[in-house]
Amino acid sequence: MKKFWKLAATAAAASLIVAACGGSDSASDTTSAPVEKTDVKVAVVYIGTTEDKGWSYQHEQGILQLEQELGVEVKRVENVPEGAQSEQTFEQLAADGYQLIFATSFGYGSPMAKVAVKHPEVCMQWATGAKFLLTKAGGGEFADFDALPTNLGTYFGAAEEARYLSGIAAGKATKNGKIGYVAAFPIPEVLRGINAFTLGVRSVNAEATVQVTWTKTWFDPSLEKQASESLLDAGVDVLAQHQDTTAPGVAAQAKGAKWVGYNSDVKEAAPDAWLTAPTWNWGPFYVKTAKAVAAGTCPSEEFYGDMKGGMVTLGSFGTSVDADTQSLIEEKKAAIIDGSFAPFTGAINKQDGKAWLKAGEKAELGALLSMDFFVEGVVGSAKG
Amino acid sequence: MRAPFRIIFEQRSETPRYLAAFVPLMSVLAALVAGGIFLMASGYSASETYSNMLSDGFLSSRGITDTLGLSTVLICTGLCAAFAFQMNLYNIGGEGQVYLGMLGGAWAGLALGPRLPSVIAVPTVLLIGAAAGALWIFIPAFVRARLGTSEIVSTLLLTYIAASVLNHFVYTPNSYFRAPNVTFPMGRAVSESAQLTPLGGTRMYPTFFIVVALALFLYWVVKRTEFGYRIQVISDSPRAAHYAGVNARRTTMQVMLISGALAGFGGATLIVGEFGKLDQGILLLGYGYAGIVIAALARNNFAAIIVSGILFSGLRVGGDKLQITTETPIHIGVMLQGAILLFALGGEAFRRYRIRAVRIQAVAQ
Repeated sequence: MKKFWKLAATAAAASLIVAACGGSDSASDTTSAPVEKTDVKVAVVYIGTTEDKGWSYQHEQGILQLEQELGVEVKRVENVPEGAQSEQTFEQLAADGYQLIFATSFGYGSPMAKVAVKHPEVCMQWATGAKFLLTKAGGGEFADFDALPTNLGTYFGAAEEARYLSGIAAGKATKNGKIGYVAAFPIPEVLRGINAFTLGVRSVNAEATVQVTWTKTWFDPSLEKQASESLLDAGVDVLAQHQDTTAPGVAAQAKGAKWVGYNSDVKEAAPDAWLTAPTWNWGPFYVKTAKAVAAGTCPSEEFYGDMKGGMVTLGSFGTSVDADTQSLIEEKKAAIIDGSFAPFTGAINKQDGKAWLKAGEKAELGALLSMDFFVEGVVGSAKG
Repeated sequence: MRAPFRIIFEQRSETPRYLAAFVPLMSVLAALVAGGIFLMASGYSASETYSNMLSDGFLSSRGITDTLGLSTVLICTGLCAAFAFQMNLYNIGGEGQVYLGMLGGAWAGLALGPRLPSVIAVPTVLLIGAAAGALWIFIPAFVRARLGTSEIVSTLLLTYIAASVLNHFVYTPNSYFRAPNVTFPMGRAVSESAQLTPLGGTRMYPTFFIVVALALFLYWVVKRTEFGYRIQVISDSPRAAHYAGVNARRTTMQVMLISGALAGFGGATLIVGEFGKLDQGILLLGYGYAGIVIAALARNNFAAIIVSGILFSGLRVGGDKLQITTETPIHIGVMLQGAILLFALGGEAFRRYRIRAVRIQAVAQ
């Protein structure tokens, strides 16, 4: 029975599209079907599962909001590895008539762009993506920006703002000045986060260091746990992460250390260790984009959200974050939102002590998006 | 009270012909029944799930071309495993040899590709990929042939090293294999002359036909040549081979190197095919490990590997698409794939043993 309704809804949607393209002759045919104005077939592709309490979980919260506000059912496709094989997934979704596809990981970009060319009727949205990387100059397959499909957009946000604030909490929490950071891949997004976090740490604890360990995976609870434990064994008393699960938090709690999470406000995963976390709020973007697609357009911009716009947020504070620290963080947060402060403001040195930004100088967005080095205070290699 | 009879496994001296085909078929059927019970217990329609899997993996035109496309590399890794297994050499490091094949192929595609026309560039990439796979198994092969060191451990451990080597070349700045002037670490696309175009808008490449021909060629080699005969003799009775003057060391080296080359060839088909560059995405796909299962399903018969490779590939393609075309979650698709393999391998017992129930009283008298 369920299948029948799905079929009926698809047929109705299809006839609506035909009607929209073919003029008003057949308009009377569609009046019998109860199709709402926001009827749109949406799919989302996840690298892990929606139960990871991290990256995918947080996107899922936005998708749930989309479902609720538009009254549609979104197709979820989980555990899809990044790379050429993911093309098969996008191809199938496009062939099945999905009109809007959200791909929530970086490595989906090139396969998705290929499918976007073959299916101009489908609106593709690439999270954490950068169109430059699809062009020849960026190592991709398209001649230049003009050659890119117009039904492809990217979306991401300035997590570095929240990273900086969480760094303040970590810098205040460490007793021995040694902080660990479990990181996925040495790409600009991650390096930017580590650097912003470190600047936050050292704004309140000038001697503290941030030791980085690479896992080369976004989503692997056991590997994330192993990496966390090796950092804890090396003596760090606060852990931060750029990973998709709460495994580092669990490891930190077991050793009596403190933890700065990522993606989701999931204090309950390790309540004693929890300080706070840079978090995401994807819902408004998902709702906005789905509405645009339902109205017949496809946003193809490179959307970069921030704390001011509400895409980037800071999670709740743990019990061990004292009132002074909380008010200091709130103060900085207000300054970020009103534009009077940006985390990457000089004077900042690179890891080797050489000057990067002069006093008062602000980094440009382009430099942030292609960041490939560590700032002073980070221990480890920015090359992975 | 004890059961009035007991089950006896009697080893068969020879497998009847009908069982060779009957057992795998019944195994798959049994797996489908078991999976179906699981599906229904979880509240999903078994018939809908299976018909979707069948259509997305085999019957639809997109399904079958996706399946044949993916089977190209899987047949290679199946051949890799089977070629060693047939001589009781357990090369389970096909996964790492695939990485090396990709690396070697990417090198050829970058360094030699631009200077060569396509008709030469593509075979060059494939051959250098195969050579790189053989190179990766050289040390395990050498120590196995000379010192008798277990190749199971050495080939497996080298897989982890191969993964690190591949990561190294993708991530290191200014690496020859890395896309230049891009801060995001990713492989540099090989020259266009070294890339094939997929057949008519599908994701299937002409390399599929080369790989099928390769499997048939190996089938012929093993059945009809002196080299194949030597392998048979050594695997049946190493001592007899020794007395017959067969150089087992040399054959061990040869067989293992060819095994590694086959996986390397598979890795190189990805360079001329869908990847077109060194891509760390390969590390998550497990094509090399899948080859072990494919070889086992085909019982190391090279012609049968074509079939089991395509079957396995279709199972994977159909299973992966289940969560798109139906409401079944990804875990169920993976579970079904696993169940079919487990049953197929378990069915081996019926082929090798005669299973009889014997009355206890009769034995007691």
